Amino acid sequence: MSKKTIGLLMTTALLATALAGCSGNGNGNGSGGSEANANAGAAANSGSGEAKAIDTSKKVELVWYVLGDGHADSPKIQDQINAMLEKDINATIKLNFTTWNDWQTKYNLLLTSGEKVDMVFASTWADYYKFADQGAFKELNDLLPTYMPETWKAVPKQDWDEATVNGKIYAVPSTYPEYTPDGLVYREDWRKELNVPEIKDLDSIEAYLDAVKTQKKVTPINGKAWNEVFTLFKAYHGYEQIGGDSGVIVAKSYDAPRDIVNYAETPEFEQFVKRMKTWSQKGFWTSDTLSSQKEAGDALKAGTGGAYWRNAPGAGGFIVDAEKTNKGTDYAYFPFTRFHGYAMPTLSVNNAMAVPKSSKNAERSLMALEKIRTDSRYFDLLTYGIQDTHYSLSDDGKLAISPPKGKENDKNFKGYGITSWGWRVTSLAKEQQAGGWTEFPALMEEFKAESKPNIFAPIIMDYKPVKSQQAAVNQVIQQYGMPLMMGLVPDVDKALETYRKQLKAAGVDQVLAYVQEQANAYFDEKGIQ
Amino acid sequence: MKIRTERSTVLFNTIGYVLISLFALLCLLPFLLVLSGSFSSEQEIIAEGFKLIPDQWSLEAYRAVFSNPEQIFDAYRVTILLTLAGTALGLFLTSMAGYVLSRQEFKYRNSLSFFIYFTTLFSGGLIPWYILIVNYLQLKDSYLALLVPVLVSAWNIILMKNFMKSIPESIPESAKIDGAGEFTIYLKLILPLSAPSLATIGLFMALGFWNDWFMANLFITTESKYPLQFLLYKILASAAVLKTSIAGNLSPDFKPPAETLKMAAAIIVTGPIVFLYPFVQRFFVKGLTIGAVKG
Repeated sequence: MSKKTIGLLMTTALLATALAGCSGNGNGNGSGGSEANANAGAAANSGSGEAKAIDTSKKVELVWYVLGDGHADSPKIQDQINAMLEKDINATIKLNFTTWNDWQTKYNLLLTSGEKVDMVFASTWADYYKFADQGAFKELNDLLPTYMPETWKAVPKQDWDEATVNGKIYAVPSTYPEYTPDGLVYREDWRKELNVPEIKDLDSIEAYLDAVKTQKKVTPINGKAWNEVFTLFKAYHGYEQIGGDSGVIVAKSYDAPRDIVNYAETPEFEQFVKRMKTWSQKGFWTSDTLSSQKEAGDALKAGTGGAYWRNAPGAGGFIVDAEKTNKGTDYAYFPFTRFHGYAMPTLSVNNAMAVPKSSKNAERSLMALEKIRTDSRYFDLLTYGIQDTHYSLSDDGKLAISPPKGKENDKNFKGYGITSWGWRVTSLAKEQQAGGWTEFPALMEEFKAESKPNIFAPIIMDYKPVKSQQAAVNQVIQQYGMPLMMGLVPDVDKALETYRKQLKAAGVDQVLAYVQEQANAYFDEKGIQ
Repeated sequence: MKIRTERSTVLFNTIGYVLISLFALLCLLPFLLVLSGSFSSEQEIIAEGFKLIPDQWSLEAYRAVFSNPEQIFDAYRVTILLTLAGTALGLFLTSMAGYVLSRQEFKYRNSLSFFIYFTTLFSGGLIPWYILIVNYLQLKDSYLALLVPVLVSAWNIILMKNFMKSIPESIPESAKIDGAGEFTIYLKLILPLSAPSLATIGLFMALGFWNDWFMANLFITTESKYPLQFLLYKILASAAVLKTSIAGNLSPDFKPPAETLKMAAAIIVTGPIVFLYPFVQRFFVKGLTIGAVKG
């Protein structure tokens, strides 16, 4: 009975979302421009005097939202922040967390319902470009120089450009350059022990996995292996997805970004899935890998797995943690960027803070953000918690170390960590990227040396004209594409033929045409050939 | 005199009992697995998977959960109060509505019934509904947001109405002759006669309130106001986020809750109700069958 009620609720909710989706978008588009303009105008007028003349006589309470979970001590930290904020700009912040359940739904509701919110986390992977395009955020061009003068000057122009949609800035990007290419974490000690050549290409990966399987008698990718194989596929051929997850539609290479194809039709794909079939037969992953709920990383840590997909900073954190728990093990990392010889930095708006259109206190909200981004008292409190309760400073004062002194062995200590990504600034950050992994700086140098601007992620795509085709294509990828990629089909040739046919029937060509059109428009605008 | 039992009956009974016992055991298995999982050591689960009898017993998960017990007590308090208040209030409103709609004298009962029924077919959708509750009723982060939106359901009103239709019109009529007012009739005559339907619908409502996490998910932002199911869901969701595309953006030391912790949380959250249920259940069954053998 209880299951039924939950089921019913969820179905209704789903239906409701489906029904409500269209109307919400329409509203956003309609009224966005005029109101934003009016506000900007007013702000420009009030800000035309001296910067010092900002009127903060009226006390306001700002409502902020960030993703993820709070910490048990979040209310305490909020009080401390507010004590300072009240003195400085006569405002207080109510910091809300979306929690991770259904955060997309909630995030959508926050932005489409017109709820009074003064600042939210924004990101490319939380549809920043789409929401900005629809007018969900307030445009900040006129407000920034007045209310965030230091940030306005400090953030590089490239970063502002990446936050610009239709000529307007809608978010304050974090200033925390990162490279997050995909790659593989593996057991370096096993590789040496088994006399396998150093990992530097697909053949050496295969040799390593094979040795782990046959000699260590361990399933190399023990758990969900889709990410490992799919990212390997993309990187090996230099395929780039466009505007986030674009399914089977990829640009064939960085140098020819306008050459956009459906990868399932390429001979490279055919070769690759044939190879994956042999990998699957050799038992590099289990036959239930697509339905498995196990993280391959857990197995790798426990010594029952041999490889795990991570991005570079994530790999660092993983390796540091794994080597700490399992003394005497040695892990290494192979970034897939070495297949094609370039790395793309994440966009500045990969993490950002934006002001929703409904906010009545955009000015004060920006001033608060300016404080957090420039004053280390604010930044540390909000990002790392209370000193000596949640962290202690290293001797040179440059690092926040958690757990703090005296609590290293306290089992009940819960580290403070919220999604502070939106306001991260390198100059204030007191943490090492990748969890202090010793090999990370060298890797960063490698990425920096081969860095190329990210030209694929900022392409705005909402798939509106091809919504049903896109849904059908995704269904086909799930049903036919994934088993094929993982070599879980009895006859590769036949499965490939079915897959291609099903994709066509689902309307992959319309989706491709749409993506091509959006990409061309973007490349034309930016002058990329 | 003893009734002799046929050999075939004995055989039938034996097979029946064996099969049912086996089936009952099968139903118990998942619970046992959760229970033993909560007492296992994390390393063992990762290395060898779940076992009914773990090699290594560990209280680690429970220690972790109870390092912050207020959270769980708060959630229990919210859910219990919500269920009690919600069910009582909901039953009161639903039965009043049902009663009014079932009375022949009420001229517009059919059009009003249809009006209520209509909302089950067509609704404004999630966003307008959300806007109503947050922007107009100002219920964001209020306990009322957990109560009001789920208090009365059209379905229950119609169920109630149809049941009350079976109460003869002459009963309220006779009471009226004796000088009873409308509310007295409803309270003293109709409600006692509707006990079976009150029990059924009350059970639906209680389960609905007990299991509801969706309202809290949308409207509650203060941690101490989370109801039980949402707390459990939240613990599990922070693990699920690792499976999505955001995983790459999470800070490297973001750790999902351990498998054992999830199991322990499930035991603590559902345990008391599971143990309570067999004792309370007979009241429900009684309530449901009261009306069944009326001539």
